[in-house]
Amino acid sequence: MEYFSLKRSNAADRGGANLSSKVYVRSTKSGKVQKIVRELYLRKDIPCSSNLCKACLDIAPADFNQKTAPFVLSDTPAGSKDYPNGIYLVPDTNAFLTGMDLFEVENAFHDVIVLQTVLEEVKNRSLPLYHRLIALTKHENKRFYVFFNEFRQETHVSRDSGETINDRNDRAVRRAVQWYNEHITHAVAARSKKQTRVPTVVMLTDDKDCLRKAKADKIPSSTLADFVFGLENADELLDMMSAAQDQREVRSKKTELFYSEHYTISKMMTGVKAGVLHQGIFNVSPYNYLEGSVHVPAFDKSLLVLGRENGNRAVSGDVVVVEILPQDQWKAPSTKIIEEETVNKNDNPEVEDGENIVSEKERKALQEEVKRAHGQSTEGRPQPTARVVGIVKRNWRQYVGHIDRDSIRTASKSARQQQMVFLIPMDKRVPKIRIRTRQAGELLGQRVLATIDSWDRDSRYPMGHFVRSLGELESKGAETEALLLEWDVQYKPFPKTVLDCLPAEGHDWKVPASTDDPGWKGRKDLRDLLVCSIDPPGCVDIDDALHARKLPNGNFEVGVHIADVSHFVKPNNAMDKEASQRGTTVYLVDKRIDMLPMLLGTDLCSLKPYVERYAFSVLWEITPDADIVESHFTKSVIRSREAFSYEQAQIRIDDSGAQDDLTAGMRTLLMLSKKLKQKRYDAGALNLASPEVKVQTESETSDPVDVQTKRLLDTNSLVEEFMLLANISVAAKNHEAFPQTALLRRHGAPPKTNFEELANQLKVKKGLELRTDSSKALADSLDLCVEESEPFFNTLVRIMATRCMMSAEYFCAGTQAYPEFRHYGLASEIYTHFTSPIRRYADLEAHRQLAAAIDYEPLDASLHSKSKLEGVCKNINVRHRNAQMAGRASIEYYVGQALKGKDITEDGFVMKVFSNGFVVFVPRFGIESLIRLRDLATPEPEAEFDGENYVLSVKGGVGREVELFQKVKVRITDEVEESTGKRKVKLTLV
Amino acid sequence: MAPPQPQQVNLSPAELSFLRSTLCQAPPVRFDHTKGPKDFRSMRAEYDVLPGANGSARVALEDGTEALVGVKAEVETSQWRPSPDARGSALAPDAEMRDAADDEDAKGKGQNSWIEMSVEIPGFRDDDSLPVFLASMLTESLLASGGLKDRLYINTRFHWKLYIDILLLSPPLSYPLALLSMTTHLALLTSRLPALKSEKDEDPLFDDDWDAAVFLYPKSKASASDDKPPVIVLAMGVGPNIIFDPCMEELAVADSVLAIACANATASSTRARIVSVRTIDPPSHLTPPGVPNSMNSATGGTVPASSAEALTQRELLANSGVWTPPRGGMKRGLISQVVKMVVEEGGVAEEVISALQAIELG
Repeated sequence: MEYFSLKRSNAADRGGANLSSKVYVRSTKSGKVQKIVRELYLRKDIPCSSNLCKACLDIAPADFNQKTAPFVLSDTPAGSKDYPNGIYLVPDTNAFLTGMDLFEVENAFHDVIVLQTVLEEVKNRSLPLYHRLIALTKHENKRFYVFFNEFRQETHVSRDSGETINDRNDRAVRRAVQWYNEHITHAVAARSKKQTRVPTVVMLTDDKDCLRKAKADKIPSSTLADFVFGLENADELLDMMSAAQDQREVRSKKTELFYSEHYTISKMMTGVKAGVLHQGIFNVSPYNYLEGSVHVPAFDKSLLVLGRENGNRAVSGDVVVVEILPQDQWKAPSTKIIEEETVNKNDNPEVEDGENIVSEKERKALQEEVKRAHGQSTEGRPQPTARVVGIVKRNWRQYVGHIDRDSIRTASKSARQQQMVFLIPMDKRVPKIRIRTRQAGELLGQRVLATIDSWDRDSRYPMGHFVRSLGELESKGAETEALLLEWDVQYKPFPKTVLDCLPAEGHDWKVPASTDDPGWKGRKDLRDLLVCSIDPPGCVDIDDALHARKLPNGNFEVGVHIADVSHFVKPNNAMDKEASQRGTTVYLVDKRIDMLPMLLGTDLCSLKPYVERYAFSVLWEITPDADIVESHFTKSVIRSREAFSYEQAQIRIDDSGAQDDLTAGMRTLLMLSKKLKQKRYDAGALNLASPEVKVQTESETSDPVDVQTKRLLDTNSLVEEFMLLANISVAAKNHEAFPQTALLRRHGAPPKTNFEELANQLKVKKGLELRTDSSKALADSLDLCVEESEPFFNTLVRIMATRCMMSAEYFCAGTQAYPEFRHYGLASEIYTHFTSPIRRYADLEAHRQLAAAIDYEPLDASLHSKSKLEGVCKNINVRHRNAQMAGRASIEYYVGQALKGKDITEDGFVMKVFSNGFVVFVPRFGIESLIRLRDLATPEPEAEFDGENYVLSVKGGVGREVELFQKVKVRITDEVEESTGKRKVKLTLV
Repeated sequence: MAPPQPQQVNLSPAELSFLRSTLCQAPPVRFDHTKGPKDFRSMRAEYDVLPGANGSARVALEDGTEALVGVKAEVETSQWRPSPDARGSALAPDAEMRDAADDEDAKGKGQNSWIEMSVEIPGFRDDDSLPVFLASMLTESLLASGGLKDRLYINTRFHWKLYIDILLLSPPLSYPLALLSMTTHLALLTSRLPALKSEKDEDPLFDDDWDAAVFLYPKSKASASDDKPPVIVLAMGVGPNIIFDPCMEELAVADSVLAIACANATASSTRARIVSVRTIDPPSHLTPPGVPNSMNSATGGTVPASSAEALTQRELLANSGVWTPPRGGMKRGLISQVVKMVVEEGGVAEEVISALQAIELG
């Protein structure tokens, strides 16, 4: 009987087969469980990519253009003591996981072979590390080569029966190293008979078993630490290894556990689905490091997480799953400032014996909290508290901080002893990080970048490792870089691929003279209009310009012209991708981090005066009563007549001698803008305030010399009104054209509970009523919050009201119902960002959509996809917020620098009262700062806190009452804040 | 009862009569004269032929019939069924209480609907009687043996749903039930389910390593007593003799046919067990009768005047050697003899099951 097997080649006929398969189980999101069989076609043309090898050069596969990828590995790699002929490194997965920072060092670790097996394992274990590894392989000088060992026939290893996946992968790594060594030896022999310098391919692994097996097979191998030890500057490099691993070995003897175990993923997911557990992002209060909150979809208000034990190793920003605690453990949110460094000053990073998860002092602080909670009535009602039972996703990043001086045993620079020190992160919400270092003496007084590696149950603080030093504390370079890193601002120069997308003409680019040029297609010639721009002084990236002229029918034609960035930045090229990553331009006091390369931002797109520029224009016909008759959108070419600063424009308008058409146009604009503004307020738009100051810097050194609050002129609101109008018009048009995918901006109405506290404070202290049922009601009642004697009081209330609001966000039209589009603050039904495409990516997307809506050009596919747009929105929302924070942090730093060494007495207002301190806001400098009781006198005076009336009566020698909204005289000096190492203003009561 | 099957055997009454008389001898001489009454046709088998399935097998018999079976398992959510003892724990999950009962948890919780079988035979529609009847007989035996459906239980909210797809690759030359059953047996025996990592009533989470997957029919060292899927054997009665695994021609002269589903010996019962028995309408009922000389006018006989008369005459001639399609069922004595031959130690059941087991092991 003739008989054929149905099976494909299998283990039975492995011999010369070029086919293998990989079997695994995949669980889909919908709960399906599938057995997946992947067929692997093994090949022989995957090159070793060593410049020593001729044979691989011939077989290397060519791409579409008949080019082979250039070989990566050097023909003369650096050697070491043990391997004088040069080394190609093959790290295993753990080497990358523990030492990624090492591999990123510029002056070591060249010629590294990244095996596919390793790369995939790294991807499974940690996505951020994977991305960093990929970035390394693209780095030209580092010479990292990804070798697809699983696809090359000689290095493919199939899993033996009974072998674990890890063992199989280790074997695959060893096999690849072995093959590489043989291959390189052959290659060198083939190259020349005389050459004897054969580089060794060395495996880096910390796995003892793997090392032993490698030794048995005579495969060159080394542990990462041993290898690093042989390098120059080994001390610094050793610090950069992740601490996670060796820590485990040392501590395995001890059994004392501080935290309860996390639930398994499946247990958490089941609980979340069943509604017993809740998932949310863990946030720590900036005032009280022991108090965290988790906002979960199930409840309006956030759940409180009190104490380290309940926090259960979650770090601010992690996605956690919490369990609600029984009602008798509910507590009121804290009225006390608890700062880590004051409570746990004496912790020793080396010794952990005898310490409890809640140290005695912490427990005392918490007890007082509880007492307070029980004694309170209306406002301080106990709130539901929760306990973290598991962590879904760690959002650990790199943290900037400084070394705690007290945690260092020997500060001498010569002692090369390894010791455990604390790194105090700049972000107060992040716990201290234990770091093992040999260079404690040198790191003291420096801004240091570090990461968290692990937080085990038996460790009170997370364990991390040193990444690099940014420089001296308080030096401008280090501090600026620190805050850019803290806020995750991409500040590296634009890569070459991005710069390649710029027009070839560079600065010589001009609007084509001939109107037959394709660039003119679909564009209106508006060069004869009297257009001008009004911006802050010194502005070089001019996004917008305006014009107005009277029409024969008595109405006005008003035009807003926006830089036509979408002409230069085409969707999905490298520049577009970079811009969408950056999301926004970040403005620091002395520095601007651009979203687009300089050439575009400050020249080709910028609507500079006296030159022709491409623009995207919004033209309205407006009645003298500021009613819009008609709006029209077009791509255009304009020539700005003048670039004014706000002051210059104001002077020009006020100057009765100026009677030219341009000034007349500006006066028309001003007149219309005032009417528009009134209409907006009538509709319920809010006039909110935020403390804005401007730091004057010396032009040469950009050292701060003075701080001023920003002055607002009529011309500021002139520009603002028309930009709002343009944004609203474009939003409506885009939404009409793309009801599902228009990119819009919304500002949700704040939940009533947000205003509860402020309303209560106003009622108790000033007898004022804050109505919050609509934005109109709020605007009206805010207008009534005035105090005759104190004009600033109104602004103070507005500042506090602003903090109760939600933040505005970008969204994709299809994801919300129309009523949800509403912009609360502007009282507009629909809104988007259109007017600043040079510095905001959202505007650029809006430009593209509008261009498609007016049939100027087809819409790119990426703007049709709701899911892609949602991704874009999510990113730019985050970037936008980070940019704001970075900007504020920069101002804060410069204010501190400007006040350095000064001693000023100023008026301030009490904004918040705690039981052991209060927050004072100083309008002159736009600063707010905490004054603790212990700052008033030493020893810390007794005080009585009346939470219901917001009064703190300080007893003893000071003997005064501090109440909310009170105007106080404060003395401003500066000091270096110990907890963050930042120079900060320090306020004391006078 | 099985409806008549359109399996045409092109044998003349004389040939049929000859066949029957050889089979009725003691000992019987079979169509393939090298085989005794208990001998099965030789076959070729392999398993794990479909890489994407949880388990699969293919069996080819020497006469050219060939079957392929694939077993696929999917996770399904269970309908919540209130049961008096489970109610308390479902409302307030009490971990401690449930722990103790964990091992026995799955007992009796399986449902018949968790196994779905489809049989495809070339030339037949899927709602034709043959495939439907075969599928229901195979399902019946699987469910009757008990353990399988309980093994599909994951927790109160989830279970595995087993899809058994049976494909006859060749035309149904002989009655394919035994072949399909043996192929299914082998496929189930080698089927594996991803290993469960989650506990109790959590949403199930599985190990992504296929090598860690567990066998649907767990294997222990003493493999003889492991629970194994049932297998159906065909036995036919002809005269006083019992013939196992009849070929197509033999079936054409069978007095009666039995399909016996048997399971192997387990720890509790030392001998093989019979799971179900069904009689099958043999194709011999449809064969054309021979016309005896006495009823043929061409040979000098007289044609009976009525059909009733013809019947009476045939009845009288039953043992004369002229072929008459057999009628009636199986005698009790014969049935008990068949059962004994199947279940006895070293009997047919044990032989078949251990032979199939040997395929997997070796």
